[in-house]
Amino acid sequence: MPELVSATVPATTAASRGLSACHVCCKLAPAEVHHCPRCGSAMHLRKNDSIQRTLALLVTACLLYIPANLFPIMITDQLGSSEGSTIMGGVILLIHHDALPVALVIFVFSVMVPSGKLMSMFYLVWTVKRHSPVSPRQRTIMYRVTEFVGKWSMVDVFVVAILVALVHLGGLLAIRPGFAALSFAGVVVVTMIAAESFDPRLIWDAMEKNGRKK
Amino acid sequence: MTGDIACHGCDLLVNVASLKDGESASCPRCGSFLTRARSDAFSRVLAYAFAGVILLILANSFSFLSFAASGLESVITLRQTPRAIWDYDMPAVAIMVAAFIIVIPAVILGMLLMLCIPLQQGRYRPWLVTTAKWIFLAQNWAMVEVFIIGVIVSLVKIAAMATIVLGISFWAYAGFTICFTLALANLDRYQCWERIEALESA
Repeated sequence: MPELVSATVPATTAASRGLSACHVCCKLAPAEVHHCPRCGSAMHLRKNDSIQRTLALLVTACLLYIPANLFPIMITDQLGSSEGSTIMGGVILLIHHDALPVALVIFVFSVMVPSGKLMSMFYLVWTVKRHSPVSPRQRTIMYRVTEFVGKWSMVDVFVVAILVALVHLGGLLAIRPGFAALSFAGVVVVTMIAAESFDPRLIWDAMEKNGRKK
Repeated sequence: MTGDIACHGCDLLVNVASLKDGESASCPRCGSFLTRARSDAFSRVLAYAFAGVILLILANSFSFLSFAASGLESVITLRQTPRAIWDYDMPAVAIMVAAFIIVIPAVILGMLLMLCIPLQQGRYRPWLVTTAKWIFLAQNWAMVEVFIIGVIVSLVKIAAMATIVLGISFWAYAGFTICFTLALANLDRYQCWERIEALESA
């Protein structure tokens, strides 16, 4: 597809025409309308307090991320002895058992995705706050990817849920959920809400302001 | 203003009125997907949603997984997965798991039928706006495909410990995952709301 609009020229956005788009149903309406004429949802030119909300949720997620990594996510009771395993501990254990593909899946979804997501969201908020002109298109793609991979971190919580339900053989063997299961599920949910409250259009608004100054 | 769509990624106004059947549009500035025009979209959604309902009922009717070692066996159904965590005093996690893998997908599936049957027949119904609104709000919180990956990972983790048998419910849920994902993939936000509006004003 040909590049129709150069990023340096102020483009015809809905906002520049005095229109806001409904977040739920895409309806365009004059910016002074508060409720969508089609679906009745609250309408805003940009998501309300996007940066503040996203930042607050990111800080919450960071705080939850500490116990999620320090405490065991599940505890195995075998013949009277119990042993807890953290998220990273589980990955290392799988590598020792030569289950590399699964170790990789857990590592990507439980370590790389949540930490990468926190870092990329902080980066996006930071660049929007200082009206950065750095490749808005790539930052928009970065946001889309972050938004898309968010729910995949729940894999580890589901694994714990299945193992806890499935593995209990009398007094021989049982698996219990650890405290990290709760805080890690919290991290995933809070970062998902953070991604939802971030407004990628702010990336482009800053660009247009810079373009007009020149 | 007819046929204009504001890109949700960068707010650029793009006119999609000339889009022909089967074509899709992406934003020329930021590359975000905008919409796909498909005359049989609602029939597709309905086909996948009906198949999904049958598979979800099957997935809730039989054993999901069984685990056997040293002469002892434990069998679980789909619903027992969140219940076990509840019994270990983690109700918040149990509610999240139950919501993400069963409740929200089931509710979305029901709403898809309520929405797409009238849309496909071209009849206006007073609940169209509300159901569409809730489907688009809730769809990001259904995690059926993530759960299937979770099941596979947990099986590999314990495969060395014991004998694992995949029950009928597991296969039904795997099929449900495919149908559910395809049903939602075929529901286009912009086209769906344009159709609702057209029916409303007619």
